[in-house]
Amino acid sequence: MAWRNIWRNRRRTLITAASVFFAVFFALIMRSVQLGSYDRMFKNVIESYSGYIQVQQKDYFDEPVLDNSFELDQGLLDLIASDPNVKAVVPRLESFALAAAGSSTQGVVVMGIDPQGEKEVSEVHNRLVRFKLTDEAIKALMNETLPERTKKLLKIFKNEAYTGTGRLMLDMGLSEKDTSDVLPVFRKYASFSNYYLEEEDSMSVIIGDGLSDYLGLSIGDTIVLIGQGYHGVSAAGKYTIRGIAKIPSPDIDNIVVYMPVNTARKLYGAHGLSTSAVIMMNNTDEKSLVATAGRLAEVIPESLVLRSWKELNALMVNQMDADNKSGMIMIGILYLVIAFGVFGTVLMMLAERRREFAVLISIGMQKHKLAGVVAFELLLIGLMGVMAGVIASLPVVIYGNINPLRFKGQMASMWEDYGFEPIMPTLMPDAYYLWQTVVVLIILSIAIFFSIRKIYKLNVIQSIKA
Amino acid sequence: MITEIAWKNVWRNKPRSLIVIAAITVGVFAGVFSIAIMNSAIVQRIDASVNEELAHIQVNNKDFRNSSDIKSIIPDYNQVVSEMMSAPGMKEVSGRIIIRGIASTSARSTGVEISGINVEKERRMLKLADKIIPGTGTFFESETRFNRAYIGEKLAKELNIIRYNLDEEALSRLREKGVPEKIISGLEPIYGERFTSGRKLQKAVENLLGEKDYKKFINPVMEAAWSYREGSRIILTFVDINNIQTGAAFRISGIFRTNNDMFEETSVFVPEEELRKLTGLKDNDYHRVIGLLDENSFTEEATSEIREALSSYEVLNWKEIQPDLAMFADMMQQIYGLFMAIILAALAFGIVNTMLMSVLERTKEIGMLAAIGMNRRRIFIMIMLESIFLSIVGGLSGMAVGGTVIALTAKKGINLMQYSEGFEAMGYSAHLFPAIDTNFFIITTILIVLTGILSSMYPARKALQLNPVEAIRTE
Amino acid sequence: MKVIEIKDVNKIYNSTEIKVHAVNGVSLDFDQGEFAAIVGPSGSGKTTLLNLLGGLDLPTSGKILIDGEDLSKLKSSQLIDFRLRNIGFVFQSYNLIPVLTAEENVGFIMALQKIDRKEREERTWSLLKAVGLGDRLNSRPAKLSGGQQQRVAVARALASRPKFVLADEPTANLDSKAAKTLLEIMEKLNREEKITFIFSTHDPRVVKMARRVITLEDGKVISDEVKKQSNDPENG
Repeated sequence: MAWRNIWRNRRRTLITAASVFFAVFFALIMRSVQLGSYDRMFKNVIESYSGYIQVQQKDYFDEPVLDNSFELDQGLLDLIASDPNVKAVVPRLESFALAAAGSSTQGVVVMGIDPQGEKEVSEVHNRLVRFKLTDEAIKALMNETLPERTKKLLKIFKNEAYTGTGRLMLDMGLSEKDTSDVLPVFRKYASFSNYYLEEEDSMSVIIGDGLSDYLGLSIGDTIVLIGQGYHGVSAAGKYTIRGIAKIPSPDIDNIVVYMPVNTARKLYGAHGLSTSAVIMMNNTDEKSLVATAGRLAEVIPESLVLRSWKELNALMVNQMDADNKSGMIMIGILYLVIAFGVFGTVLMMLAERRREFAVLISIGMQKHKLAGVVAFELLLIGLMGVMAGVIASLPVVIYGNINPLRFKGQMASMWEDYGFEPIMPTLMPDAYYLWQTVVVLIILSIAIFFSIRKIYKLNVIQSIKA
Repeated sequence: MITEIAWKNVWRNKPRSLIVIAAITVGVFAGVFSIAIMNSAIVQRIDASVNEELAHIQVNNKDFRNSSDIKSIIPDYNQVVSEMMSAPGMKEVSGRIIIRGIASTSARSTGVEISGINVEKERRMLKLADKIIPGTGTFFESETRFNRAYIGEKLAKELNIIRYNLDEEALSRLREKGVPEKIISGLEPIYGERFTSGRKLQKAVENLLGEKDYKKFINPVMEAAWSYREGSRIILTFVDINNIQTGAAFRISGIFRTNNDMFEETSVFVPEEELRKLTGLKDNDYHRVIGLLDENSFTEEATSEIREALSSYEVLNWKEIQPDLAMFADMMQQIYGLFMAIILAALAFGIVNTMLMSVLERTKEIGMLAAIGMNRRRIFIMIMLESIFLSIVGGLSGMAVGGTVIALTAKKGINLMQYSEGFEAMGYSAHLFPAIDTNFFIITTILIVLTGILSSMYPARKALQLNPVEAIRTE
Repeated sequence: MKVIEIKDVNKIYNSTEIKVHAVNGVSLDFDQGEFAAIVGPSGSGKTTLLNLLGGLDLPTSGKILIDGEDLSKLKSSQLIDFRLRNIGFVFQSYNLIPVLTAEENVGFIMALQKIDRKEREERTWSLLKAVGLGDRLNSRPAKLSGGQQQRVAVARALASRPKFVLADEPTANLDSKAAKTLLEIMEKLNREEKITFIFSTHDPRVVKMARRVITLEDGKVISDEVKKQSNDPENG
């Protein structure tokens, strides 16, 4: 009976359901994009820098100085690596130095890494620059036959470095079909011969693309590093630039110098020491992380502690949290507005059907039965809206996950300036989908509660007269 | 006439109309207020950026920003000054020496940008001098035989110059702030202990007080325990004009606090004479000339004039140095429009429903109107006006409430302390003073009227379909 | 010239597979100043004929001329305007706009014709006085009795100086006193101002007062009587 009832006033039913649909659809898409972006951002920073868990000396977190480094021997590394959920563990020695080249100087972060091991962690080897649009490259390219659009874009992306063809093609406005004729041209002029670090290269470093631009250094050039070492000794060294990497986050890209960890140890006089051991995991969900951390805590020495990626990126967590809350507030406002609409409709409906209810009650229908029918009606309308919203959102969410929206041009560089990858992936349906339904149900229950009250308070005689 | 009737029709069913109006009020208020908050963050950032950090216009040697080479000085300082001063709206200009180096104490070291400044001029021009933390000294007011530096709080913390100490003074400050005795005595174990970093103090306090009290009282405790020994010293290391590494000890003249962590952490200000002595730069050798305008609105004009006059130099304004900020400021109105449009779209459902109900209740009446000679256009307009009136009443009250709340919170501001870390890391203040300009109200009104019009389409169409014959039909 | 000429008019409804011949070959003429009643049982085509007369519907065949103007030649928007200026309507109920006062309701018709304020006011006052409601100018319909509302409706119908007034069961919802008052006013207006009134009615009081009675059955005119003298309205 409830079902038939809602179709009696088809328009009203549809409009109310449509308003719920609108709110749910919009909320789902927005949350999906928001949560997807956070997820991506964290993944980026975890995979390119912090790892999921780090082993550190217990004071290092509060005072990240060389003096708070610890001895990390192969035995401990193997022990950690033997944990079933640990994908890779690598030592790192990180500190600060002043880099000089000619008369330019710049503060840099020196990251002593295990070149082979790091391949499974921050994958620096994958970030080596393959193409660079230097001034000469652009000059040469301009003389070739290229699409007009591409030539215009060449000017905008002057000095840009690329680690692969994907992004290069995107920025140059090239599509699949241009691969065969245009790409070889780029390869010819803009290619970059790059090399990775080998353990034996004790005096070689890889620097960030931003840093190389700033200091005007390229492959084969010399870079001087000066700084303060372990227990205050002076640190100084001259190194050859073996490779240039493009790190997505400009904060890092502008100041990073990678070198083999033993080289770093020599520079800073910190033999056998590391500032952290970076751990990547197989299963990365919260539960596995906690379990893994629990197991590892048992095996590491007393003087060391484990730090999770949340602690290591506390700032980012804080920022994401603020953004998250603001997003929730926006959606809250949306639902509030819809709630008013639903309440209004319910009130009108109740007023309109007063007579009908009175007649039903007087011919013998129990009040609670009537209330039940009405409640069910409202539930149906609300659920229709929710289901429609969910179903409509699924294709968008799934597409956004597989083929996320990528920013181009100015927007993209603006995002990168802030340290974010210019991409907006969505998050696959998760708990947040459930939340929308819950909110709608809450709104409905208030409306239903109200209706039931009204029905029970109904004065039959007066209502029939109306 | 139709307007009158439409207006009166809105109030026929008071409860129904009031619910819709209430909904619109809430929605519009929420939109207006949220935007005021977002807008104020940007406005405050721009203000800080211009008045504390960058000034409006920068003139550099063409190669300077790319290489940071100490030898890339401005060839003709006097010419630059006179050209800049003759630009429209230019208030004052000043030259700066800029060097990159390392600041260090015995414990720590970090990279910084050292600016040699003309103290008198910059005291007048930028508000940076006012940002000094009381009790940490002055903006180069006291003469000493030592070199002096003015640094940011973040840098001071980084170098472990700022300590946290619950001494007698700190405890009395806590009492003044109204922190309960129970809490104060609970901290007894750490009285007088010198913490070299804020985090260490936080840890200790958390251990003593437990999570709940910690969250409540940590901020006042940190503020009270904040201590700094006046006249602490740092070492600045850099490279002179002969590429020789050099440096000296500098006494800290004062510590400033802004909302921009990055700026605080990397900026060191030194009187230019002192820097000249150490680097070997001569009088009138500057790397950059900054100019302050009377008002932000002069920016474009002044920039292009100066650019023309000084074509061999690099001329930048604050919008170009921080393009994302300018972009945000410009996009604010669009973001707002979008946000408001979404809220209004949600509201439109309610309006349509209400109007539809209202029209269907009046079948006979509308039929009668058509019969006695009200043409279709007039009936359409009548319905449309009813919808617009509903929207406007709700919209105006929403804006009124929004405006009031904005005015009320504008004085004290809204302090999102929880997120201050994240905000300040990006350079924004977490203590926001909601602000909005009339443009936003205009946009809102336009959107509201549009919503009213669009929401009326379907119900008005339905009204037109009503047959005047129905009016005659006898019951 | 006749005010209304109905020439061999038919109205056929073709809905739901059943052909309804609501008005079947009706031809009638009306002069200025007539006080006529159209009577007949339900389904006789009374309402349909009135709809056609008022331009609310168009005949399937035949012509309706009002003051020589052929209604079927008018486009729908012109028809509405025609009604505004030339025909007055008094319905059984729902005559007035609930949110307007009596004065505003009467003035409304003139406002639609863009007649200026002063003239509107004067005419409204005189019309409402004529129907005996000179003191209820500012009352909304909700505050008026049924009979009073119908009287305002009459005033409103006359506001545009129409060629004739169509009244469809105007007394159906009124008690005898109110009906008597209403009919007396309408008769007075007809007598003094020579305004044509055409009623569609069941009410014997109206029939008694009418000077011409047209009877319809199954869509056809089966009688069309003109009374010799005007009846004494007192006779029940």
